[in-house]
Amino acid sequence: MSAARGNNEAPLRCEGLARSFGGLQAVAGVSLALPAGQVTALVGPNGAGKTTLFNLITGNLRADAGTAWVRGQPITGLKPWQVARLGVARSFQDLRLFTHMTVRDNVLAATERSAWFWQPGGAAGRKRRQAAAEAALEATGLASLADARAIDLAYAERKFLSLARILAAEAEIWLLDEPASGLDLASRMRFADLLRSATRRGVAICLIEHNLDVVAELSDRIAFLDQGRVIAEGDPQSILRDPALAAIYFGDRHEPASAAAETEA
Amino acid sequence: MIAYLSNLATQVAIFGILAATLNFILGYAGIFSIAHAVFFGLGAYAGAQIALLLVPDVVLACIVAAAIAGGLSLCLALPALRVRGEYFVAASLGLQMVAVTLFSELKPLTGGIGGLVGIPLPTLFGVPVGVLPVALAALALILLATALLARGSFGRTLTAIRDAESAAEALGKNVAAAKTLAVGFACAGAGVAGALYALHTSFVNVESFTMDYSVLMMAMVIIGGTGTLWGPLIGTVLLLSLPAALAFLPFLPATEVGAVQQIIIGLAMTLLMIFRPAGLVGDLSRGQTTA
Repeated sequence: MSAARGNNEAPLRCEGLARSFGGLQAVAGVSLALPAGQVTALVGPNGAGKTTLFNLITGNLRADAGTAWVRGQPITGLKPWQVARLGVARSFQDLRLFTHMTVRDNVLAATERSAWFWQPGGAAGRKRRQAAAEAALEATGLASLADARAIDLAYAERKFLSLARILAAEAEIWLLDEPASGLDLASRMRFADLLRSATRRGVAICLIEHNLDVVAELSDRIAFLDQGRVIAEGDPQSILRDPALAAIYFGDRHEPASAAAETEA
Repeated sequence: MIAYLSNLATQVAIFGILAATLNFILGYAGIFSIAHAVFFGLGAYAGAQIALLLVPDVVLACIVAAAIAGGLSLCLALPALRVRGEYFVAASLGLQMVAVTLFSELKPLTGGIGGLVGIPLPTLFGVPVGVLPVALAALALILLATALLARGSFGRTLTAIRDAESAAEALGKNVAAAKTLAVGFACAGAGVAGALYALHTSFVNVESFTMDYSVLMMAMVIIGGTGTLWGPLIGTVLLLSLPAALAFLPFLPATEVGAVQQIIIGLAMTLLMIFRPAGLVGDLSRGQTTA
C-alpha cells in the first residue's frame, strides 16, 4: 500500500485551495496533507468550509486557486469519477445511498467502475468484485440485511451502508462527511473499529465531525478550519485544549478570526 | 379477422419495442424523455428511404435505422448530461417540437407533410417476408438485451445514477458515458421499431411521430410498470387493444371511441399514480412517500 512507499509522502495533499461563491470566500487557501494510516479530523464551526474543501478535492467544485495531488499526481481539474478512480472515496453528509437498490447491490455498484455495458475481467473479475462486496457487508455488519432495500434500513444501518460502499471501493483515501453523527455508543464503537482496521492497512482518512468527544476518540490529528482557513493543526489534545479555538468553536467569539489566524501562524 | 389480428400483433410488437426501450432509460436511468417518437420517426424515415431507394430488405432497413437513430441520440443525451428532472423533460419537449417541424419541412428526406408513400413490401435476403415475424424476433431480442443489461452491472450503474448521481460519480462511475450509452441503446431500438413500422404500413408521415405518440409510449411504460421487464409490454397490449375493445361495445357510437379512449387512458394513469405509482406489474412500495 501507499504507506509502504519510502518517500513518506502523504497520499493526498493540497496547497492553497480556494473557492468563493459570489462575495463569500468559502475556502481561502487551504493547505493540508493526509498522511497514510492516520485519521485527520476537520473541525470547525458551521460554514467554516469543511464540506466545500471536500468538494474541491473530489472535483465536485472547481477551485479558484490551488492544487491537490493524489500520490504526487495533480488532480485539480479532474472530474469526480476520475478522482475516485485514483483511490479517493468519499461519503456524504446526506449519505446519498442508492435507495431503491438492495444493500448488496449498493455495495456491488461500488466495485463496478466501468460505464460500459459490462465490466472487464470476465467471470474471475465478477467473483473478485462479489467477494469484495461480501467482505464489506461482513465488516459493516450488514450481511444479514444484504437483500433489504437501502431505503428500508434504519438510520445507523444506512450510515454503515455508506461506509460499506467505500470499503468495497478499495480506496486508499477516505473523505468522510460527518460519518459518526447520530450514531449511538455501540454503533460508534463499531465505526471506530472500522476506521482503525482501515488505518492499519494504510488508508489515509479525513473526517468532518462536530462532536468533539468523537474527534478526541477517533482522530490522530486535527485541522481546525474557520472562515475557510486552517487556523490550527496538530494533535488532538493540544487543539482541543486551546481556549481561543474553543471560543470560536462554541460561538463565543471575542476577536475576529483573522486575528486568531495571525496568532496561530 | 386474421388480417386484423395480425395487424394488431405487429403493432403490439413494434410499440412493445418502443415501450421497452423507453422504459430502459426512464425506468432504470431516470431519464424522463418525451421525445421517444422522434427516434421512432428517424428510424421510420431511414427504413423507408432504404426500401425506396435501395432494397426493401428488412434487416438492412433495421440496421441503418438503428445506426441513424442511435447516432442522433446524442441530441437527447447531451441535455440529459446537463440537467435532470423537470429541466430535462422541458429539453426533450423542445427536441420533439424541433423534430416534428423538421420532419414536415425536409421534403427531400421525409416527403414533408405528405410523407413517403409506396414503400415496397419487405424482403429478407431477396425473399418476401411478413413484418410480423421479424418484429416479434426484434421484440424478443430487445427484451432479452434489456433484461440482461438491467440485471447486470450496467443496470446497477443506471439505477445508481437515477437514485444518487453524485454518489455514483464519487464511486468512480463515468456518469456521462453511461447515460450516453443508455440513451444510444434506447434510441437505436426506437429506430428499429421505426423501420419495421415503415415497412409494415408502407407509408410514413409526420403524424405518427408527434408528441401524442411520445406521450402514448410513456403511458404504456407507466401504466405497465416502469423499471420492470414485462410491464411496458403489458401496457402496450392494453393501450393498443383498448380501441378495438371499445369498438365492440354496441352502445358506443364509432365517432366517440377516440374520446372515450383518451378518457380511459388519462383516468388509468391518474388512478395508477395515486394507488400504484410503480404501474401494474411494478413493486408496490415504490414511489410512495415513505422516508
